Amino acid sequence: MSDPQHEQYEGLAALYAMGALNARERTAFESHLEICRTCVDEVTALLPVSHGLAHAAPPVEPPEALRVRVLQSVTGEIESPLVPDRETMDDMFASIEEPEAPTVHIEEPARSGAGTLFWLAATLLLAAAGAVGWYVAELDRRVTDLRATVDAANALTVRANTSLAQARTQANERNVVLNILAGANVERLELDGQPIAPRARARVLWDSDRRMVFLASDVPALAAGDVYQLWFVLPDGPASAALVEPDAAGSVTTLVEVPDTIPLPVTMAVTVEPDGGMPAPTGDIYLLGQVN
Amino acid sequence: MLLGALIDDAGNGASSPAERVRDRETMQRVAEGDASALAAIFDRHARAVFGLALRVLEDQGDAEDVVEEVFAKAWSQARRYDADRDPVSAWLLTITRSRAIDRLRTRQARPDTAPTTATERALVELPDTALAVDHLVVLAESATRLRQALTTLPYLQRMAIELAYCEGLTQTEIAARLEQPPDTIKARVRTGLHRLREALTE
Repeated sequence: MSDPQHEQYEGLAALYAMGALNARERTAFESHLEICRTCVDEVTALLPVSHGLAHAAPPVEPPEALRVRVLQSVTGEIESPLVPDRETMDDMFASIEEPEAPTVHIEEPARSGAGTLFWLAATLLLAAAGAVGWYVAELDRRVTDLRATVDAANALTVRANTSLAQARTQANERNVVLNILAGANVERLELDGQPIAPRARARVLWDSDRRMVFLASDVPALAAGDVYQLWFVLPDGPASAALVEPDAAGSVTTLVEVPDTIPLPVTMAVTVEPDGGMPAPTGDIYLLGQVN
Repeated sequence: MLLGALIDDAGNGASSPAERVRDRETMQRVAEGDASALAAIFDRHARAVFGLALRVLEDQGDAEDVVEEVFAKAWSQARRYDADRDPVSAWLLTITRSRAIDRLRTRQARPDTAPTTATERALVELPDTALAVDHLVVLAESATRLRQALTTLPYLQRMAIELAYCEGLTQTEIAARLEQPPDTIKARVRTGLHRLREALTE
């Protein structure tokens, strides 16, 4: 149903979606919306674009000092940026086989492990000088226990640091992927699923610095011992681009190194090859993107 | 599909269902006064919030103040946050835009402050100094398309949309700023938005 007076509201849907009507105009237009399907449809179509403009402002890394300031002023606490959030840490440590640490009661919790050791050692020396045998033995036991705790904690830290390093590497890779996708001059090539995998689809995107990312979805699971291999298909023959390993859902995002000798755009294909890949394709083509 | 991503995630940096669930759970912890949860929300969304504030205000100090206001509000009003209505970052970006525009108007009202000349500004002109790592690929792609599409709009279309979004100006105010008849602004905003939509649905 359309309002017979629609003409006088023509074009206001866009301004309404952008919030660019004054109060009087907005009220009048909203009354019109109640009886005009045409304008409702237009507002419905344009609102997501208006909302999406929030994304058009490129994200910018805030200064670290701002993080400290905000968290301190808002909550009165500061969380270490090296510990992104509790869930992530929980997940990380859940994957670590944690040794059962001995329980030690440290009487001065404000001291660090090393500081406490120093304090105990100093006391130990003083006690030894006083030839109080049982006290020396007791302190010696406590130092030994404490050292065991520190060693266990160190072992955990090493493992945690390894996991953190892996997480940072993955985050860096994702950053590169997103930088490519968000770049100003991104080009793309669509790869279509071939008869052996008709639902599979993929896309290759690259930027002006020749950084390339390969994204695929609905890629069939492979038998053990097989792997997907991505190829640059050149006039003088295919050249391996990367091995790609889809997740359980059949999706994969992989950074691809593009040698200077590869002209872009270039036809690309994905085949199934024996584990480890092959110097030239031998298996079926699952995905193909041709340059016209 | 790309437009669908924007519809689903308007203003959202955490697009996958798992990330939304995680955000929602984290906001519940914020509502319970868990400072580490707010830190997690900050780490996930501060880049988008700061980027938008900087875009609107073009001033590092003001943008930082807005970021502080946004997360202070997230902390104090977490109980009022309706997870069924908006993703967390949509909520945060809505607050950001509102606070940034308020601050911009206050600044412009001060007699010692030169009026902002928005004529040479464009969303696309700010550098991509960093990207949130938790952006979904498809959403990042949508944002890229939107950013690119903005650059292709004719000057008046782009500026009219920019002034409406970034400064919260009305049709009449935009017309005055760009020295154009109001009807021209109406037509430019409409054409521009439809072209952006087409770019996202291609």
